Amino acid sequence: MELIQKDEQNATPIAKASAKCWASKWMLVRPYFERTTGQQPQAGMKVLLKVYPQFHEAYGFSWIVTDIDPTYTLGDMARKRQEIIRQLKEEGVFDLQKELQLPLFCQRIAVISSETAAGYGDFCNQLADNPYGFQFQTQLFPAIMQGEGVEQSIIKALERIYSLTSHTSSLTSDFDCVVIIRGGGATSDMSGFDTLALAENVANFPLPIITGIGHDRDESILDMVSHIRVKTPTAAASLLINHLKMVLDTINDAQDSIVRLTRQKLATLNAHLSTVQEILPKLFSMVKTRHEARLETLFSQMLSTMQQKMITQQNRIEVIESRIPMILSKSLMEKRHLLEMVEEKTKSLDPTLLLARGYSITLKDGRTVRDAQALQKGDEIETRLANGLIRSTVQ
Amino acid sequence: MAELQAIVSKMENDELDIDQLSEQLKRAQELIKFCKDKLTKTDEEIKKILSEK
Repeated sequence: MELIQKDEQNATPIAKASAKCWASKWMLVRPYFERTTGQQPQAGMKVLLKVYPQFHEAYGFSWIVTDIDPTYTLGDMARKRQEIIRQLKEEGVFDLQKELQLPLFCQRIAVISSETAAGYGDFCNQLADNPYGFQFQTQLFPAIMQGEGVEQSIIKALERIYSLTSHTSSLTSDFDCVVIIRGGGATSDMSGFDTLALAENVANFPLPIITGIGHDRDESILDMVSHIRVKTPTAAASLLINHLKMVLDTINDAQDSIVRLTRQKLATLNAHLSTVQEILPKLFSMVKTRHEARLETLFSQMLSTMQQKMITQQNRIEVIESRIPMILSKSLMEKRHLLEMVEEKTKSLDPTLLLARGYSITLKDGRTVRDAQALQKGDEIETRLANGLIRSTVQ
Repeated sequence: MAELQAIVSKMENDELDIDQLSEQLKRAQELIKFCKDKLTKTDEEIKKILSEK
């Protein structure tokens, strides 16, 4: 291996040296390193080596490695990880995936995995054989899931998925979510998933991404930025199946509610109807009775008023009737008096009475004479007396 | 799904009279069948069903 010291700021090499390790030593050192760090010694790693210098005539100067301190590397790895996390947060993308939601009918799955990985096979079988008969449509986007090239191949797979996705609206997207899984694989090989570029790609991805790439000992940065993280591919399948199950439960609940509420409503309405049905005849006869009573009252009122009127009129007639004789007789009496008076008057005016008193009436030609001057000599006049008549001639 | 749940809440709030009830019930049945089919049938089968309608 070659050891390089780089400038802190711009990564230009400052010093370089070659280092070697005896195979026998390496057989002990390497597994120890892997166990502790969970990684294989890789290019770009910072390491702490115990060495002694050697100068060989032919090969020149080199360091011989006798031991390695993995915790140094661990510390460095941890630092790098924190750095990446910090940068992601600074960019504001760290939580982007968490804000997404799995669509309700999440059935079209884009799978990023290795074809040969056992995890992929298990995942697909579990989806196909789910006990509820849910239908899923999976499409594999093969990628390298361990060693070198993980970052680039997953990014490329994501790009392919993105290019197949319609950008107008998420409803017509070709996929509902993305699943990145790998089988049990060596947990030592997680370093490829810890890169900034990969994390940025995943965080910014428009579909929710489910990651199931490691065991729960290690949470890689990828797991942190993805929408949901599960431990195994089987768990990812379970998650998707349970998600649909929840949707199914919601549908069934709605169905049950609708049936129950409809029945209730119908029962209530029927009860109303029955009540009205019962009451209606009673109400009707009540109204009828009331009206009949009113009619009767009116009728008897009418009768009594009529009767009263008749009695009143009858009384008036009787009163008048009783007064008629009186009035008649009074009138008769008056007339009689009048007659009597006239009779008396005429009696008193009878000329015979005058004659009896000694007066006489002088007549000429049958007409009374009042004026002596009117008489002429020789006129014949008659003088009537009480007794007899005198004929004379005027001298 | 949203439509389905809207129907449920309308029923719970007793907002429907008898005619609306029957019409909403039919619609709900359609929605339920559609959603359940979506879960358990493949896209092709669904397209076939829809075209048969």
